[in-house]
Amino acid sequence: MRFDTIIIGGGLAGLTAGIRLQEEGRRTAIVSSGQSALHFFSGSFESLKDCPEAEELFDRAGVRLHNLPGSRRLLPGGAFREAVLSLGDVSLLPGEGPIGKKALIVSFNGYHDFFPELLAGALEKDGTPSIQGIVEMEELAALRKSPTEMRSVNIARVLDKCPDKFVQKVKELLADGVDTVILPQVFGLDGDEVPRAISEGLAPLKVIFVGTLPPSVPGIRTQNMLRRRYERLGGTFIIGDSVVSGAVHEGIVSSVASHNLDTYRLFADNFILCSGSFFSKGLHSSPTAIEEPVFGLDVEFPEDRSLWYEADFFEPQPYMGIGVKADKDLHPSIGGEKVTNLYVAGAILGASKDGKYGTGAGKAIKSALAAANKILSL
Amino acid sequence: MNEFDVIVIGGGITGAGTARDCALRGLKVLLVERFDMSTGATGRNHGLLHSGARYAVTDRESAAECIAENKILRKIAPHCIDPTGGLFLTLPDDDLNYQGTFVEACKGAGIDAEIIDPREALAMEPSANREMIGAVKVPDASVDPFRLCASNLLDAKLHGATILLYTEVTGFIMEGSRVLGVKTLNHKTGEEGSYYAKITVNAAGIWGMSVMEKAGITVGMFPSKGALLIFAHRVNRMVLNRCRKPANADILVPGGTVSIIGTTSTRVPLEECNNPQVTPDEVNLLIGEGVKLSPTLAETRILRAFAGVRPLVSSDNDPSGRSISRGAVCLDHASRDGMEGLVTITGGKLTTYRLMAEMATDMVCRKLGMHVRCQTAWTPLPGAEGHSFKETADTIWRTPANKPEEPDIYGDALVCECENISVGELEAAIKHLGAGSLVDLRRRTRMGMGTCQGELCGCRAARILAREGLGDKALSDLRSFMAERWKGIYPIAWGDALREAEYTQWVYKHVLGI
Repeated sequence: MRFDTIIIGGGLAGLTAGIRLQEEGRRTAIVSSGQSALHFFSGSFESLKDCPEAEELFDRAGVRLHNLPGSRRLLPGGAFREAVLSLGDVSLLPGEGPIGKKALIVSFNGYHDFFPELLAGALEKDGTPSIQGIVEMEELAALRKSPTEMRSVNIARVLDKCPDKFVQKVKELLADGVDTVILPQVFGLDGDEVPRAISEGLAPLKVIFVGTLPPSVPGIRTQNMLRRRYERLGGTFIIGDSVVSGAVHEGIVSSVASHNLDTYRLFADNFILCSGSFFSKGLHSSPTAIEEPVFGLDVEFPEDRSLWYEADFFEPQPYMGIGVKADKDLHPSIGGEKVTNLYVAGAILGASKDGKYGTGAGKAIKSALAAANKILSL
Repeated sequence: MNEFDVIVIGGGITGAGTARDCALRGLKVLLVERFDMSTGATGRNHGLLHSGARYAVTDRESAAECIAENKILRKIAPHCIDPTGGLFLTLPDDDLNYQGTFVEACKGAGIDAEIIDPREALAMEPSANREMIGAVKVPDASVDPFRLCASNLLDAKLHGATILLYTEVTGFIMEGSRVLGVKTLNHKTGEEGSYYAKITVNAAGIWGMSVMEKAGITVGMFPSKGALLIFAHRVNRMVLNRCRKPANADILVPGGTVSIIGTTSTRVPLEECNNPQVTPDEVNLLIGEGVKLSPTLAETRILRAFAGVRPLVSSDNDPSGRSISRGAVCLDHASRDGMEGLVTITGGKLTTYRLMAEMATDMVCRKLGMHVRCQTAWTPLPGAEGHSFKETADTIWRTPANKPEEPDIYGDALVCECENISVGELEAAIKHLGAGSLVDLRRRTRMGMGTCQGELCGCRAARILAREGLGDKALSDLRSFMAERWKGIYPIAWGDALREAEYTQWVYKHVLGI
């Protein structure tokens, strides 16, 4: 099978590049293992304040992004961070001052992936007293029968069907003086209509959505919506497969082989590698080396393994900065020889090496757009 | 209020066992522990219930003690023991002639050792090295030392003992050549205290050395570090040993959901005992030797590296430590040093803790002029089946096997999915077992010891601590818990361990913002 561009990896970077290329009428395929870092996405594009190109591209996919200079966001452990470009249901809070007069923090019995007690402590310090409330609904009782079913995605599946009832239940918990309602991000697996309906249903109360432990409902929603957009544009999304090797000759990739397609190879003019970092297996580490497993691309790492780590867990970890070496056009190299029709994007580049693209999800979309635009300019 | 019959210093298995034995014999007991239960060597070993076979050739007396205690613990603490059985493999590098000597010595010590065909051994233990040339089956087993220690402390408490955790002995109250009690400092509250007893028992393991210095007594000890690695899967069904004289890294023990290879033996300075480190050379040695026992270990993810310090006792005439006994040592400081009211129990092994407790309690009773028979050889521990404290134990150790038939939809929700620890179990540990932090919870319930190393359960449990009114320090506690987990991970962080570590970094720093 021949494509204009084959994209290896179906996470944020792969989908962004795929949509960009399809929108310009290129014929592309994405090979995706199915899971990606979007499954534990915070909802915020770290290091990215704004990016009109990405905002418009996401908007066409139905994914609303927003940011407000000087505002803050509230993280589930109780920390406030400076806001960055974020999904629509990441609530942007005023830069300073209490977030409300009194907050109601809502959770569910048997749900342990959201931490009202930790949030309450942080809000108290920030000047907002709070009360906690538990929403009981018969729809959730079935989930609780198994001790592992009360997870964000399962709750979203249930609540997405009855947002009005949920709103009613929250109203029953209101007490005097409450002007703010804090909810876990367990709404809207298929789109952001449900979180929007809940915000509207509870108006004039201010609704703040706060993240949960993975799996991330906004992240999975984002992945679903971007994939839908990509396929509607005619892209070929090959799911549940992974590229295992590539044929490279004189700095040109001609084809790649995948796990499921066996001897059947995928051919293209250009390739984008966005297979992620260690977690997504875009990088592989052994006791003595760090390698890129598909093409054997050059990776720079200290030989002394003890330099890969910082003994303090909360210090920046050097291994997270290790990634595939790439030039200014995102071309990698093999044994020092540049691969001219291959581009690398996203977490495989390493977290902090290149200030140009930032870190995390912000880096994923910026580097993916840069690679796609480069291909379009050829 | 502050007067007791006996004060036990140390909340490891030896102190816990001694406190229990004393309490069962009707003594009024105080146990003081400077950190948490099982913080020292008790929580830092293989979790092996020796059959004694390992010592049969070199130390028949220890071997006989081990097999006797092995049989007793199976009866009194079945909830802490997994009767896996064990194999002693002769590999091509080893001398097959040793097998005969070994089996003879086992029989002499009363250990049921049976030579079996290597093919039969492979059928019993598919993970064993296929190239073995000999195999002997022995009654080794796996034991959960945390649960065993907690069971002993709980039973001591149920029999009237007072247990003070995070309470350090800062000095002895003395009158002439008699110890009257101890002065203490509570590390949680900063309060100082004085407690009096007719007899004080030093059961502080390697730290007993510095405790005794406060009474002006020298106990020559040999801090012997043992490094171990935890593999993320239970690769072996049975305990695997090498059929040769005891050496480095030649025991692989299955425990819970993991397997543990160990150990090494290196003398370390006393200062290192609080925070023993595993070196890259030790990691390499453990992997290299472990792979010989079970080749599949080469492909198995390592979960963490850790080390403990054995409280070996130097012979009194041999301060260099050349001829060290690994058996239990019970010292009456009245006859040894002219100091009345003070006893030391040390050396020994996890497997023989009950016997050590009996030895110490016998000495205490003798000194008090009492004649009460030891009951611990047949009295089941709380949590053991058919025990009268079953109800208490059911609430505290609710494993999938013994949980009540009526489901408790809130209490059964899982916090730690790797080790199957429920909300109810954590709440019980907070209410009944004095857990006040995440590390305390880990020692009492195994929370955070599984594949993900506390990544998901850490914050879930922090929230439960907060709910139980321990919330003011919840976040800093969570930070130190994650830091403690990472300490054992980074020495082996490659492959899947590094993948998990990266995921944990993302979740804590970017998703949770902790």
